[in-house]
Amino acid sequence: MSAAPELTTPPLTSPLHERHLALGAKFAEFAGWDMPLQFPSGVLAEHQAVRTECGAFDVSHLGKVWVTGEGAAAFVNRCLANDLDRIGAGGAQYTLCLDESGGVVDDLIAYRFSDDQVFLIPNAANTAEVVRRLTEAAPEGVEVRNVHHGLAVIAVQGPESPRILEYLGLPHDHDYMTFREHLVDHHNVIVCRSGYTGETGYELVVPNEAAMDLWDGILVAGAPPCGLGARDTLRLEMGYPLHGQDLSLDITPVQARLNWAIGWDKPGFWGKAALEAERAEGPKRRLWGLEATGKGVPRAHMNVMDGDAVVGETTSGTHAPTLKKGVALALLDAAYKPGAALELDVRGRRLPVRVVKPPFTEATPK
Amino acid sequence: MIPEQLRYTAEHEWVEERDANVVRIGITDFAQSALGDVVYVQLPEAGTQVRAGDVVGEVESTKSVSDVYAPLTGKILACNPELSESPELVNSDPYAAGWMFDIEVEDAGALTALLDAGAYAKLTE
Repeated sequence: MSAAPELTTPPLTSPLHERHLALGAKFAEFAGWDMPLQFPSGVLAEHQAVRTECGAFDVSHLGKVWVTGEGAAAFVNRCLANDLDRIGAGGAQYTLCLDESGGVVDDLIAYRFSDDQVFLIPNAANTAEVVRRLTEAAPEGVEVRNVHHGLAVIAVQGPESPRILEYLGLPHDHDYMTFREHLVDHHNVIVCRSGYTGETGYELVVPNEAAMDLWDGILVAGAPPCGLGARDTLRLEMGYPLHGQDLSLDITPVQARLNWAIGWDKPGFWGKAALEAERAEGPKRRLWGLEATGKGVPRAHMNVMDGDAVVGETTSGTHAPTLKKGVALALLDAAYKPGAALELDVRGRRLPVRVVKPPFTEATPK
Repeated sequence: MIPEQLRYTAEHEWVEERDANVVRIGITDFAQSALGDVVYVQLPEAGTQVRAGDVVGEVESTKSVSDVYAPLTGKILACNPELSESPELVNSDPYAAGWMFDIEVEDAGALTALLDAGAYAKLTE
């Protein structure tokens, strides 16, 4: 008998991969995608560039899904948690795909093109599962199409980002969480005023074949390339949750204090009954921010201590470059509120922390 | 960048002979580059007795944490006071301003058992 040869799937790469290699990026695997973690300037410089000027991120690993056909928007609204009728055509919305127990299958952005056409951007790791659930539930006449591999997504973020888009002749004056379509060399580019950094910014969805030219143009216009390492420190300073860490099948939106992203008044959505029950009873734990008051760097999965008692666990943690101190998101027993002084168990050492309501850093006006 | 005059360990630390029985320790250029931006360095108290191979501190970067080891047995004489406010010196100047701590070693002869620049260069190939 001999062991079966190990079958490994080579990691997926972005249509911009060659460019990242040429720029000397360091790569890391994100949900099976080999994506730039940082460029030679480093995470701190990239973070700073986005907070003060701007930066460009390749987030092509994100999922892309079309839901089309008569009543597509109404169908999506019966499944996903936020109320899609809060926005009209041309609007985008942060929403959640829940399971029947209220756990978070994914958090995603829904673009409402029309009543019959919705575009979704799920997380890379969850795209197949979101597509599976929607496909299974779709009524006759509504089609769910996974276009994960045909489109690139480039985020331009930071206070100077409108100037970058203006330079490239792209629409940039529209409101936060709305999008425009624009033809670039016969390719349709979706320009959404959105992002996950807390800064003014855009996410551009572009066909693979046009992605390199657009990326090159953005860099020439003055946005330095930034990796997913900086995207993580930027989102964490804002207290934005990351699925797989701060949200999961085991963490409900009620616990994560995402009530604002729930369409409570809708007749139904996946997980509604479980969520209503938890909301009525009060969640046993809540996701809050922790700000280190001593020196040290919180990381995910550290115990939060009140004296000798474990009262919670961090779900994300990092050194916040803007604040120059450690910050974390943590699930804490419901008794703990902002202002409480607790400690983190950092590999046997105690790091004093204060419970706060994120964001840790003020965002620029959207 | 691997200075010829220093000694090295497999844990990517450099060791510099300073005075009789006193060595200075830091992490190599290879190590700082692999870690990325260093944001926090935790070092031992002066006076601590350490044995070769002991974990005596930690280096935290934006993405990960690594242990700092005592490469030789002896007593911690001093730690770099600048690293508390400016941990980025470990990235910008790993072999000089980014030094970590000095040890008064028990046996200065043990230094020659560490890797020389050539051997360390092979290790990082």
